[in-house]
Amino acid sequence: MFEQYLSLTHYDIYFFLKAIGMTLWITLVSITIGTLIGIVMGLIRCSKNKIVSAIPLVYIEPLRNSPLVTQLFLTYYGLPVVANIVLDAQAAAIITLSLNTGAFFSVLVHSAVKAIPKLQWEAGFALGHNRYSNFKNIIAPQVLRLLIPSAITLYINQLQVSSFVSLISLIDLTKAGHILTLRTMRPFLIYGIVFVLYFAISYPLSKLAQRLEKKVAFNF
Amino acid sequence: MYLNFSFLKTFYPMLLQGARLTLIISAGALVLGFILGIIVALMRQSKSKVLRFIGSAWVEFLRNTPFLVQLFFLYFGLPELGIHTDPIVTSILALGINSSAPNCEVIRSGLLAVKKGYYECSYALGYNSFQTFRYIVLPVSLRLAFKPLTSNFINLVLTSSVVFSITVNDLMGSSKTVAARTARPFEVFIFIMLAYCVFTFVISFVAKAIDRRISITL
Repeated sequence: MFEQYLSLTHYDIYFFLKAIGMTLWITLVSITIGTLIGIVMGLIRCSKNKIVSAIPLVYIEPLRNSPLVTQLFLTYYGLPVVANIVLDAQAAAIITLSLNTGAFFSVLVHSAVKAIPKLQWEAGFALGHNRYSNFKNIIAPQVLRLLIPSAITLYINQLQVSSFVSLISLIDLTKAGHILTLRTMRPFLIYGIVFVLYFAISYPLSKLAQRLEKKVAFNF
Repeated sequence: MYLNFSFLKTFYPMLLQGARLTLIISAGALVLGFILGIIVALMRQSKSKVLRFIGSAWVEFLRNTPFLVQLFFLYFGLPELGIHTDPIVTSILALGINSSAPNCEVIRSGLLAVKKGYYECSYALGYNSFQTFRYIVLPVSLRLAFKPLTSNFINLVLTSSVVFSITVNDLMGSSKTVAARTARPFEVFIFIMLAYCVFTFVISFVAKAIDRRISITL
């Protein structure tokens, strides 16, 4: 009687496409916002004043050292009760993932700036640059070069963990696979498709990161 | 806006039990991931092309697909193959397999860092190739890889929080129950976040202390 529901139909292709769209949308928006947050926080972290440079740690450390699921649940289930801020699943996912990405990105920025040897700063000062123009014209381009491969690796990682948003009832690729598995009872086929789709998105990026990593390495 | 942490008084045994389960799962996955990591790292180093391909395919597959899908795949797929296990074993299996990929990378870079002189020296002392590996190369490369391995372990503990989605009552799962029963989700999840933070800080502190004693420079 219900055999027709046990097989995949053309409608399921649309379902998967929509789900991929959701995954990509969440990931792209959150890594964009997260990168901006990360740059700001990372630069504050590089400040010479010890107290100022410690301030972002209050934001970075809790987010880096706690599971993303807990953070998602905190925004999605916790905020409405305490602060009367009711967010829909998509907004909660984007906010949480952005903040999470920002925390990781600021560490990358900080370590990239630290990786530039002191000599570069001194040479810049000797040529008459002030601190700002030194950073803008000499340090920042080198930092950017060091940053790109590790940033791509982080973005791939954020794509993987964006699957956690399926736990707060957002229909992304993982949730779509889950729903279809429960309907068709064919976990190997459906999760095989989901694996292939995720792999197709992130494998080329990871190869790109590996190639860039070899290219950008400095020999100071 | 006020915060009310009185749920701790009533529900701390439940949370402690969850924490115990999280510890068990991550310890099991740590051992499994470590052993698999060494095996895969050796496969990637081997002379046979097929083994090298299998090793790198294993790593690339695990690194480029989300853990949650791998977990669901095992949880729903294993019964299809006729293997009926409980969710805890499934989650240990999934976490161990997942963490074998980063472990493999770290161990492999440790193996590559061992210089040729070590091999020549041990052959000169009359060790065969297995003994060389067992007594000279492996200890040295594991010491080199210790620090990144601990950061992989911290990652593993944090990832283990999603196993509640296959009905395991670990720290996250029990906190979800507590949040539902007390209707104070914010306080519960903030508390759990801090608990995970404290846990990872303790691990990294201990790891640093150990690393200071065993670290070597080649």
